Amino acid sequence: MKIAYYPGCTLKTRAKNLEDAALAALRVLGIAAVELPRWNCCGAVYSLTDDDLIHQVAPVRDLIRVKEQGAETVMTLCSMCYNTLARANRLMREDEEKRHTLNTFMDEEPDYHGEVEVHHLLTLLRDRIGWKTLAAKVRRPLTGLKVAPYYGCTLVRPRPVSIDPRPDQPTILDDFLRALGAEPVDYPARIECCGAYNILSEPDAAHRASANVLASAERHGAELVITSCPLCEYNLGTCQNQVLPHGEGLRPLPTLYFSQLLALALGVGNEELGLELSPASSLKLVAERISPIHQA
Amino acid sequence: MNESTLKTPMIKMIPIFIMGQKYEVPAELTIMKAMEYAGYKFIRGCGCRGGICGACSTVYRKPGDYKIHTGLACQTVIEPEMYLTQLPFYPALKATYDVSTMQGIATEIFEAYPELFRCVACNACTKVCPMDVKVMDYIAYLKRGDIEAAARASFDCIQCGLCASRCMGELPQYHIAQMARRLWGAKLTPRAQHLAEMVLKIEQGLFGELIAKLETTDTAELKKLYNAREMEPAMSRNEWKPSKDNVGLR
Amino acid sequence: MPYPPELKELIKVVEQTRSERVGRKEHDIEVPFMSLEERGQILKYHPDYNEDGKRALRVGPNKGYRIAHEFADVLEAASRVDPDKIDLTKPAYETDLLVIGAGGAGTSAALIASERGAKVLMTTKLRHGDANTMMAEGGIQAATQHHKDSPYYHYLDVMGGGHFTNTPELVETLVTKAPSAIKWLEELGTNFSKDTDGTLMTIHGGGTSRKRMHSAADITGAEIMRTLRDEARNRPGTITVLEFRPAVELVLDAEGRCAGAVLYNLETEEYFLVKAKAVVIATGGSGRLHIQKFMTTNHYGATADGIVMAYRAGVEVCFLHTVQYHPTGVIFPEQAEGILITEKFRGAGAHILNVKGEQFVNEREPRDVEASALIREVHRGLGVPTPTGKFGIWLDSPMIDQMVGPGTVEKEFPGKFILYKRFGIDISKEPMLIYPTLHYQNGGLKIDKTTKTSLPGLYVAGEAAGGIHGENRLMGNSLLDIVVFGRIAGEHAAAYAKALGETKAPLQLDHVRRYNKEVLETKAGEGRIAPMLLPDYTLAQVKDRQLTSHYHGTLR
Repeated sequence: MKIAYYPGCTLKTRAKNLEDAALAALRVLGIAAVELPRWNCCGAVYSLTDDDLIHQVAPVRDLIRVKEQGAETVMTLCSMCYNTLARANRLMREDEEKRHTLNTFMDEEPDYHGEVEVHHLLTLLRDRIGWKTLAAKVRRPLTGLKVAPYYGCTLVRPRPVSIDPRPDQPTILDDFLRALGAEPVDYPARIECCGAYNILSEPDAAHRASANVLASAERHGAELVITSCPLCEYNLGTCQNQVLPHGEGLRPLPTLYFSQLLALALGVGNEELGLELSPASSLKLVAERISPIHQA
Repeated sequence: MNESTLKTPMIKMIPIFIMGQKYEVPAELTIMKAMEYAGYKFIRGCGCRGGICGACSTVYRKPGDYKIHTGLACQTVIEPEMYLTQLPFYPALKATYDVSTMQGIATEIFEAYPELFRCVACNACTKVCPMDVKVMDYIAYLKRGDIEAAARASFDCIQCGLCASRCMGELPQYHIAQMARRLWGAKLTPRAQHLAEMVLKIEQGLFGELIAKLETTDTAELKKLYNAREMEPAMSRNEWKPSKDNVGLR
Repeated sequence: MPYPPELKELIKVVEQTRSERVGRKEHDIEVPFMSLEERGQILKYHPDYNEDGKRALRVGPNKGYRIAHEFADVLEAASRVDPDKIDLTKPAYETDLLVIGAGGAGTSAALIASERGAKVLMTTKLRHGDANTMMAEGGIQAATQHHKDSPYYHYLDVMGGGHFTNTPELVETLVTKAPSAIKWLEELGTNFSKDTDGTLMTIHGGGTSRKRMHSAADITGAEIMRTLRDEARNRPGTITVLEFRPAVELVLDAEGRCAGAVLYNLETEEYFLVKAKAVVIATGGSGRLHIQKFMTTNHYGATADGIVMAYRAGVEVCFLHTVQYHPTGVIFPEQAEGILITEKFRGAGAHILNVKGEQFVNEREPRDVEASALIREVHRGLGVPTPTGKFGIWLDSPMIDQMVGPGTVEKEFPGKFILYKRFGIDISKEPMLIYPTLHYQNGGLKIDKTTKTSLPGLYVAGEAAGGIHGENRLMGNSLLDIVVFGRIAGEHAAAYAKALGETKAPLQLDHVRRYNKEVLETKAGEGRIAPMLLPDYTLAQVKDRQLTSHYHGTLR
């Protein structure tokens, strides 16, 4: 299967491990992710200002790039890019007036009406591959590993772009983990906010939010938290040392991108996982808790 | 020169509007020559007159067309009824940095120009670039940390400043691109080994005597040496070596 | 303007001979190079040999020296400003080193001087970087490939190109400092065209025995200039740049040393005094004097200002009797007239052809020989008639795509490809119509190998200096010249300024008074003033109607 792929900027810099692992896993799954030859930043968070259409220009332009390639579907890995592109796409489908304004503004581009489908890798795995098929391709089953699926905000909110039909009780990451042989941990903070961009202006507030998520996962027995957003990963993983003092008795908890866990389970070599960008505790976990490749 | 009495017969004259005022000028001229024809004497707004220095960026509109058009005055042929003005200067702040102590990583550019992330991909920069540089694309490359791609995409930039004048994110794009190209050239491309070796050979004095001798050789003898030079063939590859004329090699 | 039907017809002639010519080129079958005797014969067609175009100087240190009228006109002229009106006790700026001219040579000098601890003030007539450096396209020579080349061959090539008239110590300096100049540029981050392993790509230029032309696509000068300029702008603490403030006179001190200059603010029309311990003149060339009415490739400000100022202060000139005409300037479309078409096109394989689509000269002769051959071809009635009533010669760029592969012209010559595209001409499919254009001032002020002049404290670098290239410069040696000698000037002027320290010697402009008097007494000046600063392109009928305007030289 061939699919147009929109990476997003962070996956080319800080979050290379999200991308590298995903691309390696996709090769195993026989999916050719073709990076768009031209793309720009998605806007890096969907604009919530009602009359600020200019912020829709960036994501819509990327959708036009997809259409220009003759592709019907575009895949994203970063949940923030997913959210921004999917919401801009919806706007272009549903809001005739704004669609007209944007198309007129971008008069150097072909008109766009929301023709493209925006997917996240998780929905592709669910809808195009299927959990059963995925499970059959696992070479390093994660049996017994207790993993906290962290959805955060942008995979499931707002409702119309949620990758799960039940945004308040999503199961897609749980199903994903089961397919890999891991044991998903049910914990209340799974769809709570990590602190997001507060990390820039109010780091303490962000750390408190992150501490809440980590503490909740830990209390319910998680050995590992998986994320799908570079900002969540940054807050929960990269900044964890600053987060720990904000939660009583909080101990280091490994974090990984879902794509890294996917690649691991599919038997991709550790050197392709970008583990060096992940927290040290995650590295240790991979070394100690994940069994060597299962010889089929 | 807008008085009809001054029209030269035989030459087709057309009207253009320089800063809103109408002048009749010969139809074949560039904007620069048309302005001079009309009586303007340039101090600003005129540099190389060859399309490479970026001094004469010009903004114009055409009747019945809402578009902003741009061009270099020295390269753009006038059109009837065009409304034009030059942009002799546009303020844009340049960061200062020391390339010699840098690593050539994207973070260095982000730190020098944090406003990079104010780009909303409106594409106004690309639309006004008189050199057809895809300005928005190279900014996009930099946001994702791809210095090489930005260096290549911005290579034809003449730093006229039109992009910066139109940017709603208020970026000084052409300064940012300059930094990217310098980091690319200084830190991200391999140094020429043969060049360093040659510099060393010269420092070691390997050619001193040879050339000192040439300096005192009389013209007749010098002409002989000149005529006897072995010419590297026009279509040779880099590996080519002279077959007989090795006297000057070390 | 796209080519009109008449020219399209003539292009068919070129196309008819193309595949046969490409075949020859691919087998390295070239028109033979001329012998030195043959060169001598053909050079009679060179404009330098037109004695009617010259006269003997009547004033100054080179009295009796025959140079072009247009050049003599600016040397035989009085000062722009009355020396008595300038208060020499009140400098507006005081600095260690004053660099006049902010092109490649001036900026190189400023950078090196700043590294040697000098406080630098660099002043320029237009903007920083508005200079011929910016326009140099083809490349920069240096013997960097030691398996086949060395400064020895570079030396021979330079001397032969200059008809063996060059000043040997300057040539020696040029060729032995060339590789380190390239290395300096490389370290500054100049985007040279390189192979993936870092090997610098090199091609031939006219008169080179080895491929040693380094380039940055087809905008080598612009790439070097913007890199140097960026570096200068990174050093605001030690390098101050003044724009739109040309120098109009050098200032001496009571002990006869060069000690600053008088600047003119083109916008506010004020004059300012700069006091400096040393001065570098890097004012470039003189194409805008339009010698013998030739069109020029030069930038708007190329009016020989530095030479005028230093000549008045007693510094001799040399080699000004020769002027370089670049063989290939655009002659059609007229809007682009005079614009340089880099020699790199010929280096990449494009043929020079007459109206019959035939080759008549090797494409890599030295520039004066090549230009003379083109002029002779037109004299022989084998030029290509243009719609504007002139005659040109074909430069067959489509050959390059045919030999190297489609898209090569667009990739290797993006600047010219876009330029012609705007006129509706695709130079990867249609040849270019060219003719020699006024390009380079071979001569200039006399310097030694440290760029020192006969006037203590005055250094000269770049096109304003003479002797390096003798009577004719080879392609790729001017970019080299400005970097090599610019750096040397920065080094030596900074050292001189440091050694001199603070002086109390009063400033004076007596040399200007003396010169004005000489011009007046010999009646050589005829009311002319210099430096010209900017060429005069205002039409006569406009001037006739400017009833209340007063022209001081070419400026209002």
